[in-house]
Amino acid sequence: MHESLRKKSKRWVLRCLLIALSITCYSNVYAQKVAITGKVINSVTNEVLVGATVLEKGTTNGVLTGPDGSFNISISPGAILQISFVGMVPKEVVIGESRNIEVSMQESISRLEEIVVTGYQTQRKVDLTGAVSVVNVSDIAEIPTSNTMQALQGRIAGLYIETSGDPSGRTRNLLIRGVNTLGNTSPLYIIDGVPSKESNQFNYLDPNSIESIQILKDASAASIYGSRASNGVIIVTTKKGKDRFKVEFGSSTTAQYFTRRMDVCNTEEYGRALWQAAINDGTDPGTLSARYTYDWHTDNGVAVLDKVNSVEFVGGNPLLRATDTDWQDALFRRGMITNNNITISGGTKTSSLLISLGQNHNKSVIKYNWFDRINAQINSSISFLDGKIKVGEDFHLANLTEVPLRGDHNGPGIDNFNSTTVISNAYFMQTRLPVYDANGDFAGPTGTGFSDRNNPLHVAYLGRDNRVKNLLLFGNLYLEVQPIKNLLLRSRFGIDYDNSLKTAIERKWVEGFLSRNVNYLETERGNKFNWTWSNTANYRLDIKQNSFDFLVGMEAIANDYAWMRGYKEGFADQSLDYLQFSAATGIASISGSRTGNQLLSYFGKINYRWSDRYLASATLRVDGSSRFGEENRFGLFPAFTLGWRIDKEAFMANVKFISNLKLRSGYGIVGNQEIGDEARFGKYATNYGTLSGNRIIGTAYAITGVNTGNLPSGYVATQLANVNLKWESTSEINIGIDFGFFNESITGSFDYFGRTTKDILTRPPYPGAMGEGSYQYVNGATMKNKGFEIVLGYRGDVGPVSFNVTGSVTSFHDRITYLPASVVRSYAGNVEKTIIGRSVTSQFGYITDGIFQNAQEVDNGVTQAGKGIGRLRWVDLNNDKKIDAYDQDWLGTTLPDFEYGLNVELSYKNFTLSLFGQGVSGRTVNDGNLGSTDFASGQGMNFGKRVLKAWTPQNPNSTIPMLSLVNRNSETRSSNYTLRNGSYFKMRNASLGYTLPSDLAQKIKVGFLRVYVAAENFLLIKAFGDDAFTGQDPETPGTVYPRPVTYTLGINITL
Amino acid sequence: MKKINKIITIAVVLIFSFSCSESFLDYSPKGSLTSEMLNAPEHLDNMLTAAYASLGNDDWSYAISHMWQWGSVRSDDAFKGGGSVGDQGEIDYLEQFVTMRTDLSKPNLAWIAIYEGIGRANDALSRIDAVTEADYPQKVIREAECRFLRGHWYFLLKILFKNPPYIDELTPREEIKNIANNILTNDQLWDKIAEDFQFGVDNLPEVQPQKGRANKYAAAAYLAKVRLYQAYEQDNQNNVTKINQAKLQQVVTLTDQVINSGKYNLSDDFAKNFLTAYENGPESIFAIQFSYDDGTGAPGRINKATGLNYNMAPEFGCCDFHNPSQNMVNAFRTDENGLPLFDTFDNVILRNPEDFWNNSVDPRLDHTVGIATHPFKYIPAWVMKSSWRRAPQVYGYYSSMKEVAPYNDPTYRKYSAFMGSACNFDILRYDDVLLMKAEALIELNRESEALALINEIRTRAKNSTNWLKMTDGSPISNYKIESYVDGVNCTWNKDFARKALQFERRLEFAMEGSRFFDLVRWGIAAETLNKHFDTEKTRFAFLKDAKFQKGRDEYLPIPQQQITLVEGKYVQNNGW
Repeated sequence: MHESLRKKSKRWVLRCLLIALSITCYSNVYAQKVAITGKVINSVTNEVLVGATVLEKGTTNGVLTGPDGSFNISISPGAILQISFVGMVPKEVVIGESRNIEVSMQESISRLEEIVVTGYQTQRKVDLTGAVSVVNVSDIAEIPTSNTMQALQGRIAGLYIETSGDPSGRTRNLLIRGVNTLGNTSPLYIIDGVPSKESNQFNYLDPNSIESIQILKDASAASIYGSRASNGVIIVTTKKGKDRFKVEFGSSTTAQYFTRRMDVCNTEEYGRALWQAAINDGTDPGTLSARYTYDWHTDNGVAVLDKVNSVEFVGGNPLLRATDTDWQDALFRRGMITNNNITISGGTKTSSLLISLGQNHNKSVIKYNWFDRINAQINSSISFLDGKIKVGEDFHLANLTEVPLRGDHNGPGIDNFNSTTVISNAYFMQTRLPVYDANGDFAGPTGTGFSDRNNPLHVAYLGRDNRVKNLLLFGNLYLEVQPIKNLLLRSRFGIDYDNSLKTAIERKWVEGFLSRNVNYLETERGNKFNWTWSNTANYRLDIKQNSFDFLVGMEAIANDYAWMRGYKEGFADQSLDYLQFSAATGIASISGSRTGNQLLSYFGKINYRWSDRYLASATLRVDGSSRFGEENRFGLFPAFTLGWRIDKEAFMANVKFISNLKLRSGYGIVGNQEIGDEARFGKYATNYGTLSGNRIIGTAYAITGVNTGNLPSGYVATQLANVNLKWESTSEINIGIDFGFFNESITGSFDYFGRTTKDILTRPPYPGAMGEGSYQYVNGATMKNKGFEIVLGYRGDVGPVSFNVTGSVTSFHDRITYLPASVVRSYAGNVEKTIIGRSVTSQFGYITDGIFQNAQEVDNGVTQAGKGIGRLRWVDLNNDKKIDAYDQDWLGTTLPDFEYGLNVELSYKNFTLSLFGQGVSGRTVNDGNLGSTDFASGQGMNFGKRVLKAWTPQNPNSTIPMLSLVNRNSETRSSNYTLRNGSYFKMRNASLGYTLPSDLAQKIKVGFLRVYVAAENFLLIKAFGDDAFTGQDPETPGTVYPRPVTYTLGINITL
Repeated sequence: MKKINKIITIAVVLIFSFSCSESFLDYSPKGSLTSEMLNAPEHLDNMLTAAYASLGNDDWSYAISHMWQWGSVRSDDAFKGGGSVGDQGEIDYLEQFVTMRTDLSKPNLAWIAIYEGIGRANDALSRIDAVTEADYPQKVIREAECRFLRGHWYFLLKILFKNPPYIDELTPREEIKNIANNILTNDQLWDKIAEDFQFGVDNLPEVQPQKGRANKYAAAAYLAKVRLYQAYEQDNQNNVTKINQAKLQQVVTLTDQVINSGKYNLSDDFAKNFLTAYENGPESIFAIQFSYDDGTGAPGRINKATGLNYNMAPEFGCCDFHNPSQNMVNAFRTDENGLPLFDTFDNVILRNPEDFWNNSVDPRLDHTVGIATHPFKYIPAWVMKSSWRRAPQVYGYYSSMKEVAPYNDPTYRKYSAFMGSACNFDILRYDDVLLMKAEALIELNRESEALALINEIRTRAKNSTNWLKMTDGSPISNYKIESYVDGVNCTWNKDFARKALQFERRLEFAMEGSRFFDLVRWGIAAETLNKHFDTEKTRFAFLKDAKFQKGRDEYLPIPQQQITLVEGKYVQNNGW
């Protein structure tokens, strides 16, 4: 079904392209002078430009525009007009049939003059006093991801993103300036003026329809968004139609490859490792005879393996001849991404329209798994009464469809969507097992020696009809009124809507000793509807050299989410068409709930500028939230900033090499209310059928002794009340410097910030003796976070090659400075060593001191449950002669010390080459698969090849402990053996593009044409040494959807 | 221009006249109740129902209804089983003792789950205490039921952890974290538990209209159990220092109440205790009422504690945990008189099919143990194959049967890789009452009175061979079991009677999760288990390092996680 849809949409796009092409076709012209009249205007303000030069290209034939911006000129047919004006980008216009043209010119914005959206208003970048990053949208437009956020990884100083290869592009971790709170760390998104905490709305925008992205990093910049701004604010503006009619078309195709494989044993090697483990344990290798027999002998007391014989049939089943399956080959495939977008836009002095359609299909590297996105954007506005009143709308619609990864037999169903079990099964399924049995059915664990894990390909296949669908609608209607000069009143009503439908289909199946004998259908529908109404007044006042911007406003926000889930068993037929609830005859259950919250805010801001030299601003926002009790409902969020443009001072007039120098500082307070909507209430609920994992935690009971039917049910506490719950607040100081030297060929900035977050909202664990429902949200903790960001850029030319190099370094360090006693235990540490004074991402564990080499060392060692020759020796940190929970220490943090990125752009004639790399340093990660790659104790699954290099008396220098069939020494416990250096550097993106020269472009009747090839994620450099991460990708330790290497071919055309 | 100004004025007024009243920020929680609402008499029954529900809120990850991980795998009766020694490795630590740690998750989960039951019982009790009998006529009965449930949970905590903190309905929730675990002495804690059951004996009706509720005799039987455990007085090093005669006398009195009530007797066939069709039968005094397809979400409130314990028969599929030890299988061997071999049973290994014919065995063997070539779970045509074992090279040749429902039980359900049924699990059974009384009598030097009780059990076992048949109607094994006859086949003195009683308990309750606690009560855990390890490790290599540390391993450590959560207010158990 999706295949045909994709073809259809491709055809449709082509058709559009043809129509668009025919529109711009025109017949040939006579070789005779023609008279052209026209008008030149500013594309942004629509003001006429007086005195602009209009020149026939290649001639001296030229005129100036008059007081009304108009001109008259006679030119040769088919000639090109060159229009230039001070402060504007020169423009060339091809004269076609039309004899009357309007030329709109764009302001030539040096980066300093860039206009930045900073929250209910815009500012020149040069006037900014807070820490604001501006994303270079063109850098990310060609990255073939389904998810815009993923494309930003590493490109913005202070924005830290961890990603996986999931085709939906879900980010695993997103932080602006590190961790500032113990709960939700996601930022606030402002899209076309409408706020949302729903990352989906940003993630699934079509990058082609994004005009600009700004990131407000510090509290002084973000405080205008008050209560929800403490994790930073990402402001997105979508493109608007302007000046001439334009059709833009972009298309790309990407091949994706799974390349970072888990290095696992083959059938013979696995047998060898098991034998070695048995010998080490003093166990007769004959106990492995269901899978392997061995020819071996003893030489001087040392067991020597001569030959490994894999038993012919798996579990004695004649349909399952033992083999050497490459399970990763079985599950993974070459993936493909197709990306198409068409944008049609245009504008007049009083109106503008933009329509954009986009399509992205990501057939991922795991079989049966794919993600599909369709976008539509419609932005329009119209003004009347001489521009005094303007109404408009910006709406974005995205339709997402995904076949998620499913859990294996242990967790089918919606709750285990996006489980990575299928991937770990592909890594560690025993290779003896064939993918299919002799009858062509899926093979599965059979007989002795298997874990109860499914055939990964079968799992993927079983999930083929599962779906996650989202229909996202985001947008706003606005009215702008300019009653007097410089006063702008704006009322904006925005909506944020997400209609989700998840469907899990579970058929009957048999696979080895695993099976399912009941089929079912499970669906969950969610309906999220949030609205925002904001009303603002902006007023600009210039008195001599004093410039003021005033902003006052109010905002009301209501969020509502309702969901319902149905489940029914027993379908007579298992075809997809039959699997509708009404067709089932078995047991059914239904659940659902609703939640919401409201916010009411008032705010104001003053920006002040004196003579372009001294900048200041003050912000105040008052936010009320339904999440807090009446006593603490409103929070106050002020901010102040100062800026000094040193380069504008008279004494700098002679310092020619400095083109820009600005000092910035700011202080602000922002809030966080990210706890559950009902966190303040004490609650009792009936848990008629609630499960927690497999565990029943219900309140229903067959007290009458019946075995089935509806049960009487009681109530149980689920949460304790906290009427004193209040805002969490973050205060931040930011000091920054922006500089530009040698006429902006060297630019850069440095920001230092220090943050303190107080009254952090947490839900601490409680002693078991308190009984169920003793969870209570509290304003628990204080954290400090400090760090810096450096951005340096250089642009220049070497001969015909111009280049642009940008590098950034980010560092942030958080530490918890206060935790109430009840909360301390939620975090790493023990009674003696608490997390206070350390990062919330701190790792805690035991310390190894190598491997016990001989009996003497074992005897001399302190008391250690499970110690022995060849085993890891733990360090007795507290010298009490025994190893216990008090012998643990701090072993680093999962967040890096530094993150750095380097972007190089080279252009030569019409070619551009860009390279982008990103890395992190000083990061400790849990090497999550060590339990399978270094140990032989989980014998139901395959081992990593590292087991072959394990310690033996004959191989005493190995750091991998001796193989054993049991893990008596708990060697996979948290320790510096399992926690390793996760530093890395990755080449994220390289692309080479070619833009057709304009004369050639004109020949084929297009305005602009660019083709490019790009590669993503193609180089990984890991840390090395004894403490190095051993898995595939330290960015995604453990079993995570691997990020593929991708190769893209793409084209962009503007007509 | 006037028109424009008018429009603008209206617009401005509209925009800024929106002054939300604070009611915009009002919000009430959805789908939940406040605590106060539940004080109404009509909700009190439901609060108690929620407390009962905790009995069945279980999972194999901690298994506190059927305590196979705690009471069976830790004893000489059973091995962990499963796919390998490392499969559910924490149970291996429990089994081997020597690798036990204080911070494992299973004891912590068990602790949490049991206190959830206590919390629900206390919650219901405090509300019921607060209403008058006029408003709530069942007040006293329901109070007694709450206290019965609470007593049950504390009994479990006591035998698992020895020194749990005691929380009753009078302790405010926020105070609980300040309650230490050493406020009450060992004996005082037993008395607290006993008080709850005594309240039940005094206030519960003889018959409850609903089968799932505790009645007077359930309370009496449980109180007898508490007093029996309490009678074996322990010091801080877990040594049994004295057997308290007064407590034993109470056991006799209480068990007599149950026996003389005439409401209970042994089922005619032992099998009926382990089949769904016969649940809540004459032998069942208090049982956890499981259910299936009950709308609580698939598969329903089936017994999940034993979800791992189904063997690899094609009708099941996984995961074959809880495997009978060779030692225990051998214990079912009988001598030429049909009596157990107290000291020599383990000298002969029952393994090959002919061994069960060349030797005579107690019929309860085939009620308890799945043996290759023997029909499984009373279905003659469903003969167990050696392939039904998952890791025979590691864990031997047998699989557990009592807690396993036959595939044709209509309540049998498979959920993910695991299985279960709605078959009730008996917490108190009449055979237990008889043997508790016998035990008390023996220790009261009235062993002759105990003889008939033990023989009653053995006679029932002897008569329980009707379903132990091959398809041709012939018996599965060579059954020979007889009663003890003083002076004929034995000399019934106190020492002999004690051995007979201890052996009878082992055979009667084999694989039911109580063996370990019996051994600890009797004060013979260390000697019994270390002796067992010495012989069993010659048969099964995985036990080669197993060692029970006397004075420590009788109890689990207080979970380190819990000690941490109360800032060290709990005192760790001896030896940990």
